[in-house]
Amino acid sequence: MTNIVLLNNQAHRDLKVQPGAAARYGDNQRFVAVVAGEFPFLATHYPILLTKDANTGAFLVGAMLGIDEGENLFLTDRGMDSYRPLNLQRGPFFTSGGDVAIDLDSPRIDAAGQPLFTDAGEPSVYLQSILALFRDLRPGLDITKAFVDTLVKLRLVEPIDISVAFDDGTSRQLEDLYTVNQDALRALPDAQVLDLFRSGYLQLIYLMIASLKQVPVLARMKNNRLLAGTDGLLGT
Amino acid sequence: MHPVHNIVIVGGGTAGWLTAGVIAARHQGRIKAGTFSVTLVESPNVPIIGVGEGTWPTLRTTLEKMGVSETDLFRECDAAFKQGAKFAKWTTGAADDAYYHPLMLPQGFTQVNLAPHWLEKGAGQTFCDAVTPQGVLCDDGLAPKTITTPEYQAVANYAYHLDAGKFAPFLQKHCTAKLGVRHVLADVKTINQDQKGDITSLTTEQAGEIAGDLFVDCTGFRSLLLGQTLGVAFKDCTDVLFCDTAMALQVPYDSENAPIPSQTISTGQSAGWTWDIGLPHRRGTGYVYSSRHISDEQAAEELLAYAGPMAKGLTPRKIPIRAGYREVFWKKNVVAVGLAAGFLEPLESSAIVLIELSAKLIAEQMPANREVMDIIAARFNDVNHYRWGRIIDFLKLHYVLTKRPEKFWQDNLDPATVPDRLQNLLKLWKYQPPWFFDEFDRIEEVFPAASYQYVLYGMGFRTEVAAADNDGTRSMAVNYLHEAVNLTRKLRAQLPRNRDLLQKIYDYGLQPI
Repeated sequence: MTNIVLLNNQAHRDLKVQPGAAARYGDNQRFVAVVAGEFPFLATHYPILLTKDANTGAFLVGAMLGIDEGENLFLTDRGMDSYRPLNLQRGPFFTSGGDVAIDLDSPRIDAAGQPLFTDAGEPSVYLQSILALFRDLRPGLDITKAFVDTLVKLRLVEPIDISVAFDDGTSRQLEDLYTVNQDALRALPDAQVLDLFRSGYLQLIYLMIASLKQVPVLARMKNNRLLAGTDGLLGT
Repeated sequence: MHPVHNIVIVGGGTAGWLTAGVIAARHQGRIKAGTFSVTLVESPNVPIIGVGEGTWPTLRTTLEKMGVSETDLFRECDAAFKQGAKFAKWTTGAADDAYYHPLMLPQGFTQVNLAPHWLEKGAGQTFCDAVTPQGVLCDDGLAPKTITTPEYQAVANYAYHLDAGKFAPFLQKHCTAKLGVRHVLADVKTINQDQKGDITSLTTEQAGEIAGDLFVDCTGFRSLLLGQTLGVAFKDCTDVLFCDTAMALQVPYDSENAPIPSQTISTGQSAGWTWDIGLPHRRGTGYVYSSRHISDEQAAEELLAYAGPMAKGLTPRKIPIRAGYREVFWKKNVVAVGLAAGFLEPLESSAIVLIELSAKLIAEQMPANREVMDIIAARFNDVNHYRWGRIIDFLKLHYVLTKRPEKFWQDNLDPATVPDRLQNLLKLWKYQPPWFFDEFDRIEEVFPAASYQYVLYGMGFRTEVAAADNDGTRSMAVNYLHEAVNLTRKLRAQLPRNRDLLQKIYDYGLQPI
């Protein structure tokens, strides 16, 4: 359940929040929506792919963190070592217009966590970092939507079939994922390419293409995990 | 040499605009280069008949090739999904007498004929439910795709029900704005011919003279160019298909959220049948009947009784119809498409698909010059005679297996009214189920063998099969029959309600990819 309310330095004066990454806090996500500004940080760790919102059919862009549902292969006991996408960093916080809201039912709300306000009622260092994060995330959503809409409009999106066979004999077929159609990209008229370059979209496109190299890396991580699991079973 | 560069289409209904769109899309390169033109001349004063609100899955491909957005089609033409037809009360007339002719082929259709295997099992599931999920999807009121399925792609094969009155203007907008079709609003005053009889130009009231190399007659029942000007006779088929009158009635839903069936519901009545087509905001209903067997007053009463309480106080609109077609479809430099070519009762929604197929053939085989046009014309006439003949056979098939006692139905059983080819096939099908060998071998066959199977076995016809004869294909057939069961389970869990998906398409649109 969620119970989202506007954040208020009186009512939430004593509220504390666990900022770290852990499965029990909801960081165990296979696919996390991201914004364009994150692409350079993401591309060296995760495949940046498109998928469709199951409710609206609209394309959204995200980072693939795992192979199976509810799996973040980058999550360890110590949290996430590599870049943590803003949508995970924001924890229980949301924006509502220009305001910040919080989900009071989030498992991150915990007396052992970080305070949100100082004794004087000012935002704590942690809350300031969240406010800064939203300054990136909020306009980033519009910028990213415009980018994705352009990809679709120029027919630069194509489905990608990712099927992986693992050493434990199982295999996975990942569906509903899309990437940049490189043939269509090469076929664009010069004027359109120039537009993409000037708008900064071309760089985003190449980051998405480069990030595909992370798919086999993820598959290897998953394979190691599966084999470790098997060994564990054999050992008992 | 007299090159064919300028195409003139006369008539602005569904036939005219679909033909214009298909030809213009196919010849876009030449239109852009200025070496080819498509002009549609339409009278500002002649109303559009708006044939049929049911279509075939072919329309998806046709519209996609024209560059039309499917989301726009749903939003602007009140389109809804069609997954097939349900025929109620055609066999016995009893309350539970019904079968489906779905748009999905039986599972593994290109690999193995499931009909003899289903027949071998005897009683149990209907043929349709044994071989495809689509009848169940229709019964459940489910849509044939989801909001994440791209435009024109299907999870379960589908066509559309649409508001024909909105479809023609919708196509017009696309053809003129995107495909470079010239639109001339003018009344044709005289049709000018050369000594050989070819039409050279039209003299119009408002737009002067319009010259052309090839003229497409889309003037509806009038058949102004092919029938009236070139004198091509109409071949009447009412000796086979008795219905000569239609009565149409638009009925509102009783609530905004009433389910929208995704099947055309065709119900046998005392002297014909009623159609019932679910659009988002209303039902289109109507009665197609034989005036020899029932009076207009009685027919109107029967239709109102069928349409239910929401039709109370409404008056049906009467439309005379005549089954038949032109003796030739393409003569000299005139080709007829749509009602100008002929008409058949809308039992299997054949009107719009015939327009699509004709337009495609004209566009693909566009003669380079007048000198080779007669070769293409002969080809076009041959293919179309075959198609019309096959559709007439298939429509008649729906009538010849009835056990209904009324005179209209009993008269339909008279062998003198059944085409020879159909009589022979029915004899043959007592011993072997319909399959590819039954001449269903044209590149663009109108009805595949599967359609005949759905109707035959839906109406209780049985082919004698020997179990030993099935041995060779049994394991393959068992697999496909299992596949049908599994697919049914999977799709029932996955697909949304028909109205819910239409609402989502209005709210969010379908993605092109």
